[in-house]
Amino acid sequence: MSLYSELRRRNVFKVASLYVIAGLLLIWFTWVARTQFGLPFWAEEFVTVLVIVGFPVAIIFAWVYEVTPTGLKKAVDVDQTQSIVFKTGQKLNAAIMVTVGLAIVAMVADRLLPDLAVPPPPEPEPEPTVTDVADAALGGAVPEEIMSWTMANGLRVLVWPDEDIPNVAMYNFVRAGGRNEYPGITGIAHYFEHMMFNGTSRLEPGEFDRIMEANGGANNAYTSNDVTVYQDWFPRTALEVIFGLEGDRFANLAFDDELIESERDVVFSERRSRVDDNNLGKLFEQMVATAYVAHPYQFPVLGWPSDIVNWTREDLEAFYRTYYAPNNLTLVVAGDVSAAEIFQLTQNYFGPIPPQDPPPPVRTVEPPQEGERRLVIETDAQTPLLHIAFHGFRAADPETLAMELLLKVLVDGNSSRLHRRLVEDDELAISIDGFQQQGFDPGLVYVYLTLPAGTDPAAAEAAVFDELAALIADGVSDAELTKAKNILLADFWRDLATIDGKAEALGTFEVFHGGFERLFERPAAVDALGADALRQVAERVFQRRNATIGVLRARAGDES
Amino acid sequence: MIAARPAAVLGLLLLCGFAGAAVELPPAERVVLDNGAVIVVNEKHDVPLVGIEVLIRGGAVRDPAGKEGVAALTASLLERGAGERDALAFAAAVESVGGRLSVSADLEYIRVRGEFLSRDLELALELIGDLITGPRLLPDEFDKLQTRRIEAIRAAKDRDPGVLMPIYAAGFLFGDHPYGNPETGSETSLGELGHADVSTYYENEIGADRLIIAVSGDIAAADVVQRLTDVFGGFRAAAESLGDLPPAPGSDGPRVLLIDKPGATQTYFWIGGPGVAIDYPARAELDVANTVFGGRFTSMLNTALRVESGLTYGARSTLVRPSSPGSVGIRSFTRTDATVEAIDMALGVLRRLKTDGLDETTLESAQNYIRGLFPTGLETAAQLAASFAELEFYGLDRSFTDGYLERIDAVTVESLGPVIAAVYPDPDALLFVILGDAEAIREPVARYGEAVELAITDPVFRVPAP
Repeated sequence: MSLYSELRRRNVFKVASLYVIAGLLLIWFTWVARTQFGLPFWAEEFVTVLVIVGFPVAIIFAWVYEVTPTGLKKAVDVDQTQSIVFKTGQKLNAAIMVTVGLAIVAMVADRLLPDLAVPPPPEPEPEPTVTDVADAALGGAVPEEIMSWTMANGLRVLVWPDEDIPNVAMYNFVRAGGRNEYPGITGIAHYFEHMMFNGTSRLEPGEFDRIMEANGGANNAYTSNDVTVYQDWFPRTALEVIFGLEGDRFANLAFDDELIESERDVVFSERRSRVDDNNLGKLFEQMVATAYVAHPYQFPVLGWPSDIVNWTREDLEAFYRTYYAPNNLTLVVAGDVSAAEIFQLTQNYFGPIPPQDPPPPVRTVEPPQEGERRLVIETDAQTPLLHIAFHGFRAADPETLAMELLLKVLVDGNSSRLHRRLVEDDELAISIDGFQQQGFDPGLVYVYLTLPAGTDPAAAEAAVFDELAALIADGVSDAELTKAKNILLADFWRDLATIDGKAEALGTFEVFHGGFERLFERPAAVDALGADALRQVAERVFQRRNATIGVLRARAGDES
Repeated sequence: MIAARPAAVLGLLLLCGFAGAAVELPPAERVVLDNGAVIVVNEKHDVPLVGIEVLIRGGAVRDPAGKEGVAALTASLLERGAGERDALAFAAAVESVGGRLSVSADLEYIRVRGEFLSRDLELALELIGDLITGPRLLPDEFDKLQTRRIEAIRAAKDRDPGVLMPIYAAGFLFGDHPYGNPETGSETSLGELGHADVSTYYENEIGADRLIIAVSGDIAAADVVQRLTDVFGGFRAAAESLGDLPPAPGSDGPRVLLIDKPGATQTYFWIGGPGVAIDYPARAELDVANTVFGGRFTSMLNTALRVESGLTYGARSTLVRPSSPGSVGIRSFTRTDATVEAIDMALGVLRRLKTDGLDETTLESAQNYIRGLFPTGLETAAQLAASFAELEFYGLDRSFTDGYLERIDAVTVESLGPVIAAVYPDPDALLFVILGDAEAIREPVARYGEAVELAITDPVFRVPAP
């Protein structure tokens, strides 16, 4: 008798089949129990391990023992003429049929589960994490309707109910950006932002957008040095659909080789219009690459061309695993919603996603700059450009707010110092503007000018540093300080005039400024700053030894 | 920061741009002053802000031939010194309270747009009153501005060329008709201007009979009406009357305008023809059709050119709908060596729209999309002010906004057919505006029609008449 027929006779195959199906069912039940009733993650892992370990045990058991009318006996001890293995086999067949039936029901339920109606929300579970923050200007304490909590898998959730319009703005901040890249995969965070729209194991490529738009929603996303942010705007009637779509792509993203290729072309097209055919972008890219010699902020967020065409599917999968984990996300919902329903929806759609080890820290610290850096680009240009960048601060540094005020004094509006001097009085520039990068690591304070055709950037540069020297020597006037504070205050209210602005502001402060409560402390923090604090920050930053100066001009010989 | 989805954002902007509403416009107080100025005020108290939108009928269509850009230059000059304040004092007054104020010329109006903390309402109305009724129009400010605006056009030509496409397209479609005027002017036409042109424009084209003033926000409506009456009640009328526009020329396509930008890595194109006016009766049908054709991320154009082929970062269709018929166009860009492939693909999508129309599923999706995002167009005081002003400007009543979603719901596959046939241009009679490296694309694009050529450095946006 061959081993095979003996295995068959002793019902080992049937037991194995039954075991596999029943085991999978058990794992599925545990998963449901965990996601629906909040069992801990280890419960599912425990059951899975148990099922796997039990398999060989069951097989051996089936081989060694046999069911007889008088009980369990070793197979070798059973008189083969009295054996009822055939009957047992029939019973096993029936059991297999039943479990297969159950499995089919489970599969159908699994498909349907995310679409089940959310049960009526219980009393809000999330506790407000803030109660009473010191009153800010204009009575700007933290609005008590804002709720926040952290889920078991690490997902941070903020909700700001606002019934002004029957719509919702949802922002999902992923802590992954240019700073998490290295040579060979520069631009991958941004590219990944594109891939997040390209299909999952459950939805074909393009379905995400088709379903969202067919339900009245629109979306966008952006990538910076520090984060990738996914934005959805939709009517409240689409709330559950949107959560289903978002949960799905954060859990089940697919990597289709054909799409990986065509999306490279899309990103390259984006790069051409933003950088290669755009002198402003061209100079900015080189400025950043020059200002940083060590820290990954030196990489263009769009990526170097050679990396765009060369990164691999494995790079993408590793990136997804590491950074697109719930413990690396902050989800912000503002609009016509209740905290209780968002609590339930996040449980249902993000709750099942397991956490991952925290991403590796960005260790590199940019060493202090010890002398001016200069760069020149010669290209097709009618109007020369002059950019000046200084190393500045982290978003969370106290100096950042002072620098915001300084930038208002320097470049915000026609009455600002640099505009007046460069554009109005000396007519050395046709425009001047500026910003500071506010990220996890120290960013740049950036001033950029467009110059009239045929002019020498040296004069404009001298005038800028002249004004900065005066600022360091004499500080800002009371009128300038008041103006800067008023602009920030008005900006604060303008940001909060829409649900979109609310979601973005709340998330930005939560992710970058050490907590969303800080948003509401801002008016008071602005108010507390004095002229001397500004002067000191100006003195620290606006030094030539801390500056990168870039010029873009027409190629010699084709000056127009 | 890098955004990934231009078409999706475009969809939002389109919806916000057409006087969209929070399902229904809130009540507003409307007053017409004896001198013809129209005032619309509504209260909105959620945040301590006030939005102010003033439209002055006229705009770039009133630029004299050869002096395009005078409306734009006048607009900028209005806020560079007015009433008791010189240019610096005026700017400082706005900025010192954290206000935002801009004055710009559009095709058919000059727009003054302000957003202030409501505690600064009085100052805001004073400044806006001054710049409209008592601008200084200082000659030295004129000189500076003239130089700067010419340089600004040169600078724009050094940046993303896609931004310039609508200006070239309007010029190519409308020729010397006022709808072909570049709102900014061109380097050449701005150079032709003297200070007297600005004074004349101000006397002739700015006056109480041209004014629409809309205010929305955390204010008391009756108080604002009274203040506005005080500020504008004594303002004179414009010296000239608006009159009617001359009839627009036919498009007589196929024709090609090729703009050479040597070294460009990409070709930027607009393909289109004549369109419809703001009061086109089947507006709802057209909005649905355009949403599907090129107005959102999953539109036919974006799906074909971006999603399925990776030829571009974005492809969309645009409708320009002023008082009289404007334009319909397709816009996209692609790497230089894919120019013909992308243009042919866009043409194929246009043919498909015209032969196949829309199916029920797509129609319903577009209706949901428009309905879903509609309320976000009228969320803020500034949006409300802009919407009230726009309705007034085009002589539309509230039902234009309030009944909009009902009309969207009523659109059927059958009612779309004739609209698509009538509005989207004949694929065999199109105008092509193509900007790129001419050396590489001159020959391949010749297939689309008889071509005329400009260099991007040419100081004009329209090909000079022979």
